Amino acid sequence: MKINCESARPLLSSYLDGELSEAQAAPVRTHLFDCPSCRESVQEGKVIRRWFREAREDVVVPSGFSARVARRAFAGDPGLVIPTAPVDAPATGTLLPFILKLSVAAAVALFAFSLWIQSMSLPSGEDLQASDRSWMFEPPPPPAQVREVEDSEPDGHDLVEGGGPEADRALEVEGPVER
Amino acid sequence: MTTRIMQPAPTEDTALVAETLGGNQLSFQLLVERYQGRIFGVVRHYTQSAVEMEDIVQDTFIKAYRKLHTFQHQSSFSTWLYRIAINTALDFLKRAGRNPVRAVEDPEVVGTPGRAGAPRSIAAPDSNLEREEIARITHEVLDELPEIFRSVLILREFEEMAYQDIADLLGISIGTVESRLFRARARFRDVLARLHPEYAVELG
Repeated sequence: MKINCESARPLLSSYLDGELSEAQAAPVRTHLFDCPSCRESVQEGKVIRRWFREAREDVVVPSGFSARVARRAFAGDPGLVIPTAPVDAPATGTLLPFILKLSVAAAVALFAFSLWIQSMSLPSGEDLQASDRSWMFEPPPPPAQVREVEDSEPDGHDLVEGGGPEADRALEVEGPVER
Repeated sequence: MTTRIMQPAPTEDTALVAETLGGNQLSFQLLVERYQGRIFGVVRHYTQSAVEMEDIVQDTFIKAYRKLHTFQHQSSFSTWLYRIAINTALDFLKRAGRNPVRAVEDPEVVGTPGRAGAPRSIAAPDSNLEREEIARITHEVLDELPEIFRSVLILREFEEMAYQDIADLLGISIGTVESRLFRARARFRDVLARLHPEYAVELG
């Protein structure tokens, strides 16, 4: 099969590079016998290849390069453990409204709770008098452990000695003490 | 350390990738060792600075590690890694203000290779030139080419990649690889002849 220059030219690089099958290369070869211009193109391609072949230099790799790169890659490795989220993921479409609703509910609950605390524990300003201490905080009774220690005094005198209404009441209930 | 570039076995890549994903740092280090020479090899065509080169290659492997769980084994690991390396290099150049030429097509060489004026070809590199000088001139010409041409030339001429691998790496068809290489070589010839007329050969 004969081909003309127009068909042969695009195949010349492939022919030169050995990338054509025999079925493709045969008509190109035949054409080259007849066409000085295309032969010259192939010859020129060979010259260009020679420029590149003779420009090749040895590859120099810095010492310890592979270990250094592997260490760096593993030290700063976020890519393999953190899945990449799709850019258009509907994260803001579901999470944000939920957070907003939760915030509103929390604010309402807090406000209601503060109102309840206020109504239950504190008297109003109209009822409050300087002498009225009923609303004030009373300290809790001492812990049981401490009380046991105090009750175990040998004669209990410390509880009543020193006078005062409590001591008087004790004497009245139990009658005169024999000495 | 000079590295002899060898073709790693894909089956071992699969195992090393799986072990790396399982948290084995040594397996990742072995993956880096297998490909560091080839990645340095391709990145050096985008920058001549040793420091920049190391930064880009390091960044390439760290990006690869972070994206490793997305590697689907549809292409070879090396093709996948090359793609990251080239993108990283191009991003680096862009950030550094050295934006590569990104012409989608080059009108001058679309279709029949442009041969404005007298027909001319180029001569082979002078045999008296040092390899370093030939490399300097070649890179000087490459830097003048639109990125789409530069990449295919680098991958084919320096890395000797098959058309199918280049197509996979760049996400284009084999037909596009063919036509791009055809135009890229024509453009390389024209730029070399313009920058270094001493290598231009007038055809009569």
